[in-house]
Parts: sequence; C-alpha cells; structure tokens
Amino acid sequence: SAEVSEEVVENSVENRVIDLLNSSMYSSSESEKVSNLVKVQQLVLHNDLLDNFLDEILGFQNDRDVQVRRFVVGFVEKTCKKDCDYFPKVIMNLKVMFADDSPNVVKKAIQTSTQLYKEFLKWISSAKITDLVESTYEVWLQIKQHLFALLDTADNDGIRTQVIKFMEMIVICQTRKDQFSTGDDFCIDSMSANPLMDLDALEEEAKQVFEQLIIFHGTPHISSVNLMATMQTLTLIARQRSQPFFSKVIQALEALHANLPPTLAKSQVNSVRKQLKLQLLILLKHPIAWASPPFQTQISQLLTDLGASQSEINKCLNENRKRTIKT
Amino acid sequence: MTFDLRIAVVCSSNQNRSMEAHAVLSKKGFKVRSFGSGNQVKLPGPAQDKPNVYDFGTTYEEMYKDLLSKDKNLYTQNGILHMLDRNRRLKSCPERFQLCYEQFDVVFTVEERVYDQVVEELSLRTPVDNTTAHIINIDVQDNHEEATIGAFLICEMALMMAQSTDLDNDIDELLQEFENKAERPLLHTIAFQ
Repeated sequence: SAEVSEEVVENSVENRVIDLLNSSMYSSSESEKVSNLVKVQQLVLHNDLLDNFLDEILGFQNDRDVQVRRFVVGFVEKTCKKDCDYFPKVIMNLKVMFADDSPNVVKKAIQTSTQLYKEFLKWISSAKITDLVESTYEVWLQIKQHLFALLDTADNDGIRTQVIKFMEMIVICQTRKDQFSTGDDFCIDSMSANPLMDLDALEEEAKQVFEQLIIFHGTPHISSVNLMATMQTLTLIARQRSQPFFSKVIQALEALHANLPPTLAKSQVNSVRKQLKLQLLILLKHPIAWASPPFQTQISQLLTDLGASQSEINKCLNENRKRTIKT
Repeated sequence: MTFDLRIAVVCSSNQNRSMEAHAVLSKKGFKVRSFGSGNQVKLPGPAQDKPNVYDFGTTYEEMYKDLLSKDKNLYTQNGILHMLDRNRRLKSCPERFQLCYEQFDVVFTVEERVYDQVVEELSLRTPVDNTTAHIINIDVQDNHEEATIGAFLICEMALMMAQSTDLDNDIDELLQEFENKAERPLLHTIAFQ
C-alpha cells in the first residue's frame, strides 16, 4: 500500500543517513568525512529529519579535522535558515566555535553570525517571547560583545576582517533606511516595539559600532588588507545610511589620505591609494554628494590628489545629473 | 598532487597571459579558471591597427579556423595559431570575468588596467557570505616570452599560498617576500564574495 511504501522510503533515507554518519565517524580522511556529512545535511534538511539527527551532526563540532568543524558551523547556519525555531537549540553550538583553535573555524563562525543575526531579529520580531527565546537573545548579546572586542584583541588578521563585516552588518541592520538606501536588507525599520529589545538602544549601539570602525580605520598599525576592508565598509555605510554617516566617512577618508599608516610598504601604499580612489569615485556618485557642492569639491579635490583625471570625475558627476533628469 | 586553493587568472582577452598561467597552474594540480576582462577578444592582425576582434562567445576552434583561412603563413609565423591550438585543448572558448559568479580564494591579474576592472566588478556585487578573495596584480607584458615568465611567477606565488594554512593572516608577509625575490611590484586588495 502507499502508506507502507512511504514508511519504507523514509526508513531507507534514515538508514542512509545513519550509514553516512557512521562512515564519517570512523573515516580517517578529512575530505571523505566532509563529503559524507554534506550528503547527510542534504538528506536531513530535504526530508525533515532534523529532529532525528541534529545532535548526531552537532557532535562533529569537536572533530579533530578543521574542515569538519567548519562544516558543523555551516550546518548550524542552514538549520536556522530552514527553521528559526532551532535557534534556541543551536545557538550555544555556534557560540563555542568562537573559541576554536583554528582561525578558519572562528572566521566561519563569524561569517555565519553575520548571516544569522538578521534572521534572528526577523524571527524575534514575531515570535512568542518565552524564556527560551529570551535566553537565546542573551547569548546573541554575548556574541555581539565578544565580536566587537575582537576587533582590537584578535591576534589574527583574517579574523579581524570578518569582524569588520559583522560590524558593518550591525550598523546597517540596527539603523533606519533613508530615501537613498538601496536593496532589501532587513533592518529595524521592519521591527515593531518588542518587550525584549529597545529599538532606540539598538540604534545607539549601531552608532557606537560605527565610531569604533572609524577609530580602527585610523589606527597606525592597521594592516593594508584590513585598511582596505574597512574603507569598503565605511563607504557602504555612507551610501546606505547617508544622513548620519556620509560626512564622517568623507572626513575619515580625507584623514587617511593625509596620513597613511607608516607601516605600509611601498606597493601597499599604491594598493591602498587605488582602493581609496575607487571608494571616493563611488561616493561622488551618491545623490547626497550631488546635492552638496561642498561635498563635491571636497571629494573631487581628494580624487585629483589621488591621480583621477577630470574626465573620470566628470563621469561621476554626469551620472548623477542623468539620474536627476530621469526622476 | 592537488591543492584546495581556488584560483582565477585574468588578462584582457583570455588568450595569451591568462591561458599560459592556466596551463601551468593546471598541470601543477591547482583548481584554476581563466578569464578576460575586456569587452571583446582581440588577436593580432596584419597590422597594429587591424586586430582580429571576436565576441567572448566565439570558440578557440572558430578563431583558429578563421585565422587559418585568412593567412596561414602570418598566423603560423607569429605563433597565434599555436597559441589557439594550446587554448582549444584547455577549454572551448574565452570567458569573460564579469559574467562569472564563482567564488575564488585568489584572483591574479596581469596588468593594472585588468586589476582595476576586476576590482571594480567585484565592488559592484552584493556578497553572498563574505568569503574573501585576494586580488593580486603582477605586470606581465603581452607577448609569448613574457607570458611564460609571468605564468612561472604566478605559479610560484600560488605554491607559496598553498603551503599556508591561514592565507588571510599570512598573505601580507608572503607577498612582501615574493616581491623582494622576484623584484616585481605587486598590487593587492581584498574583495568579499
């Protein structure tokens, strides 16, 4: 009968998952383990078997192989994206990964946090506030504080880079859009007042995080890579939240141009200047720059110093002119 | 021997410099793809101001047949047919970087203009998960001899990178060391995918 055959199919999927999990547990090959676990993930998510196998899969988070532990972080991400109700069940698993020995696992955990925080806020806006939800929120607060501190305390440059992106997400997510914001990224605009979260406090925190990024941007020993990553982040923030931040970002870029970190090698100076030029060209195209002759002058001057030609500058200004004519 | 590093090499037309590097890296066991960043594929013609121009969809095979029929002697003597033959054995046609959305760990470019095009292209995209890509430029002149040297240098860099267990943290020092050894200035930036 149809019922029996459905049960047989489900059992055979479960058996397959069990086989793959066993193979992963006893395999000595990292790539084979990961490959099996990826199949497990696919089968479990596709066949609604999370409740059956969640703990078994999470058990691999202490595996000796880096790629296996990275896989578990990715699995936490996919689980929460599939069903936010799993947040309380897996949030601690995510949190402990920040203490992993391998920077590659820590970076993955930060990347996952950058993705999941927005999902969490969306979920918590409409979820019933139980003790479990509240304690999950507390863990997120701890994660945020840990990551904000990591910007200065991390001894690994790659980790710092991912922290910059996490902080970028916090600034965008926890501030309100303006008329020039583009894209449909989730932010507090879509959240209503909530017994758990003070929206004003979140906005205030975002502004503090922005200030922290500005300070980091100006530190004398910043690496060339993180300087360029921060420049990109500040430019994105200036474009998406121009009212509070555009002017401060221009000031920061101007200060950088006048005072590059002394630790940069010659070719790094060239790379940083090129990146700075690109970011300023992007900002010159912003409607706020178009509407403000002082901004136009300030940015154009910086661009000229950086070797931009008048035609490059005019191209940006003309793009704005065309946009204005269209509207 | 195979490596996990995901590499892209980009020149203007995906014919000479990037394909030479593609061939060398591939043979060494790297996961490599190659691209052109220009608007069209250009091959030398009978005169400086008369290049052969093709769209990116055209296969190396079609270009080979086209040049063979136009002037077999010229294109044999200047090595273009030989290059196209090498290329058609590696893949079917030139690929445009701006149309590829695959994630890479490292993107090598061979001249500043290509570097600028790649960096600008990546800056316009919305990242999927913030995986980092390191974009590195090393100037390589567009002729056969220089392409061979360039490919060798790119391969050297790739081997150094493959030995690192934490590329993001090691890359600054690695590139400084390489620059001093090779005596060629590099450009380097980061993009998020």
